[in-house]
Amino acid sequence: MSKRDLVVIGAGPAGMAAAAKAAGLGLSVTILDEQPRPGGQIYRDVDRAARVRGDILGKDYSYGASLTAGLRHTAIDHISGAIVWAIEDGFRISYTKNGRGAQIGAVRVLLATGALERPMPLPGWTLPGVMTAGAGQILLKQSGMVARDAVLVGSGPLLYLIAAQMVRAGTPPVAMLETQTQADLIRAMRHLGGALRGWRYLLKGAGLLTEIIRARVPRYTGATGITVEGEDRAQAVTFTKGGRKQRIPCETVFLHHGVVPNTQAARSLGVTHGWDEEQSCFVPTVDDWGQCDIPGIFIAGDGAGIGGAQAAELAGRLAVLKLAEELGRLSATDRDRQALPLRAALNHELAVRPFLDAAYPPFAEASSPADSTVVCRCEEVTAGDIRGYAKLGCLGPNQAKAFGRAGMGPCQGRYCGLSVTSLLAEANGQTPDETGYYRIRPPLKPVTLGELAAMEQVDLNAAE
Amino acid sequence: MDTDYVIIGGGVVGLSVAWGLLKRGLTVTVLDGDDGSFRASRGNFGLVWVQSKGLNQPRYARWSQHSAAIWAEFAEELGQNTGTAVPLEQKGGYDFHFSEESLQTTVEKYEVLKDQLDGDYPFEVLGHNALRKEEPHIGPKVVGAILHHQDGHANPLKLLMALAADVRRMGGRVLTGKTVTDVTKPDGFRVTCADGTTVSAGKVILSAGLGATGLGPKLGFKAPIRPQRGQVLITEKLRRLINRPSLIARQVDEGGIQIGATNEEVGLDDGVTQPGISDLAAKAIAAYPDLAKAQLVRSWGALRVLSPDGLPIYQESAEMPGAYLVTCHSGITLAAAHARLLPDWLEGTKTAPDLEVFSEARFSIS
Repeated sequence: MSKRDLVVIGAGPAGMAAAAKAAGLGLSVTILDEQPRPGGQIYRDVDRAARVRGDILGKDYSYGASLTAGLRHTAIDHISGAIVWAIEDGFRISYTKNGRGAQIGAVRVLLATGALERPMPLPGWTLPGVMTAGAGQILLKQSGMVARDAVLVGSGPLLYLIAAQMVRAGTPPVAMLETQTQADLIRAMRHLGGALRGWRYLLKGAGLLTEIIRARVPRYTGATGITVEGEDRAQAVTFTKGGRKQRIPCETVFLHHGVVPNTQAARSLGVTHGWDEEQSCFVPTVDDWGQCDIPGIFIAGDGAGIGGAQAAELAGRLAVLKLAEELGRLSATDRDRQALPLRAALNHELAVRPFLDAAYPPFAEASSPADSTVVCRCEEVTAGDIRGYAKLGCLGPNQAKAFGRAGMGPCQGRYCGLSVTSLLAEANGQTPDETGYYRIRPPLKPVTLGELAAMEQVDLNAAE
Repeated sequence: MDTDYVIIGGGVVGLSVAWGLLKRGLTVTVLDGDDGSFRASRGNFGLVWVQSKGLNQPRYARWSQHSAAIWAEFAEELGQNTGTAVPLEQKGGYDFHFSEESLQTTVEKYEVLKDQLDGDYPFEVLGHNALRKEEPHIGPKVVGAILHHQDGHANPLKLLMALAADVRRMGGRVLTGKTVTDVTKPDGFRVTCADGTTVSAGKVILSAGLGATGLGPKLGFKAPIRPQRGQVLITEKLRRLINRPSLIARQVDEGGIQIGATNEEVGLDDGVTQPGISDLAAKAIAAYPDLAKAQLVRSWGALRVLSPDGLPIYQESAEMPGAYLVTCHSGITLAAAHARLLPDWLEGTKTAPDLEVFSEARFSIS
């Protein structure tokens, strides 16, 4: 098995910036990524799509091409289409590519696995025609497809970005149901100072809103009681606003109320995580280099706490400075000198976050759904089922999983984990930290038994 | 006295015993751990199994047979009481062999045991072709199998949940998130937990799985048990591929194929390893080649609770009469016996089963 100085998991902004920086410092680097082309979710398919759809997707998106360019370095082995399913001590990383199992060794590992959209369990959210706003945006980036008669539901900057992109594409959404309230905005004002330091983001947000308003997209803020109606597929969204029940017919519903760190890989290694009250999600515990409590494992980007693409890049480079110093490629003095401007820029990037987190909190109805609402889509487990397991003594999600199969399906709990934790925490009167999270184990992504079995005999250098 | 019995450990073993005691009108408090406790009850393979057990101790074979024989009725009652069925299938199970020699050696051992059990050991030997009629998806490397008609399998998680529900329904008090730190017997028993909870009881049952190693000596037990890791795999849900369960694989009632299990002496490490799961995958494919295409969706490691000879331990403390150690590796197979038969032994009734061979006395010879 070949052993690289650094193996990066994920070719989004954090991973790409880190790989380029590490190669520049003379480290041997392999970057493993699931997608056929680099970019991560934010710059998905940027090398192709920026050329043909740059006008719709915007300047910030096209910028990603500067990062993909950084991967074209002789010291970087970029393995695309690689599904990583196990990371073990040592480090031994198992993945499949084109139906074959392979392994690679690493002295240091950087997890740059990014974010997932926060699940938004509402009545009717499992109907065909309902998808996450991020999934809708992927269709736009990859194939230029835009849904007609779509209603956007939720809150946050990404919701505005997608709405504006739909406007630019000539198919504006039928309506936006925004779940943030006036009270949220007032609370957010406490963080106005930081927000003003991040004025570029506010300006960008204001620009997106202007585009949406100019296109006369109806907006309903502070909507409650949101339900997707339909027999075989989504046909309308109903909600209450100002005491009045309303109904908007539609064909597609995009749900989004923020993103949360994708912690599956870190959790499978046993990295300590804690509940972040401001971001309402679990984040791995890392120091200001991105180093966690498992020596040799670094985490950068949204996977270590939501900070956005620019912050991810900076965090990726900071992590590399530290690990390169550990590997003797950089003196501590040089490390700190080079880190200084990166840290200043990172602080600047993160300044707007407390404001955004307070102004666009997760939708309360989706954190504590009605009993009949499904929370685990793979195994069709409802919120009421989870509350019932709490009555049977389940203090945490692993017991609830054993009782009701929530989290046992192919998504490995990615889409129900936070819902199940918050439901149990509420039912047992405990904090999310006390309640805990699913124990994540390999395979991080499904792998066939044939691929697994073949690894016994496989030449461990076959991946080279 | 708070309760007639306090049961330390709320897994399948502790809850089965609690259920049986509650049915007799006794009061029971169960002290259970938290979400992160080692829980063989949610990591086990789910077999209700007779063959190969007790080859050196026919009493163990009988005890397993007895439990298997009353399992269906036990599951039925739990299902009716809780409104959720406990799936069970008892139409036999296999021990697959990949060489004639190993098949022959095993058959000889079974014949000896069969004599010791007065012929009550219904098994038959199937050659490859006979086996193929029963299991059309079997692979060419399997030379034959022993089909034992008393074997079967259950949904162990549904069993755990049914017990948790029914024990509560019958008035059992279950305290969760508890770590027992001390047990004293000034007069009656007094059990103290880490969070300061205390429970006084007439009798104490220690059924805390691996937790008994620490607590056992405080109660006067040797509790010579150790963890042994078993890694287990489960595939995506598939159409019917496997007819009867074996030690290698079984198709669970939800449709997934469960593949087990490694035997590893690695202490309290319940992790999953790539070599471990690759090895299991290879064995499963050797038995059922079609499985090569199946997606693995989950794997886990769980720790078996093993005594030196692998047999259960049922022991009343000499130092603290009224305290009992109840521990075993096969908590699912023995669940029915623990629920229906063990209460007689604990209460010392005339119909109490003779469990002398399972006492700790067998470990005293050095």
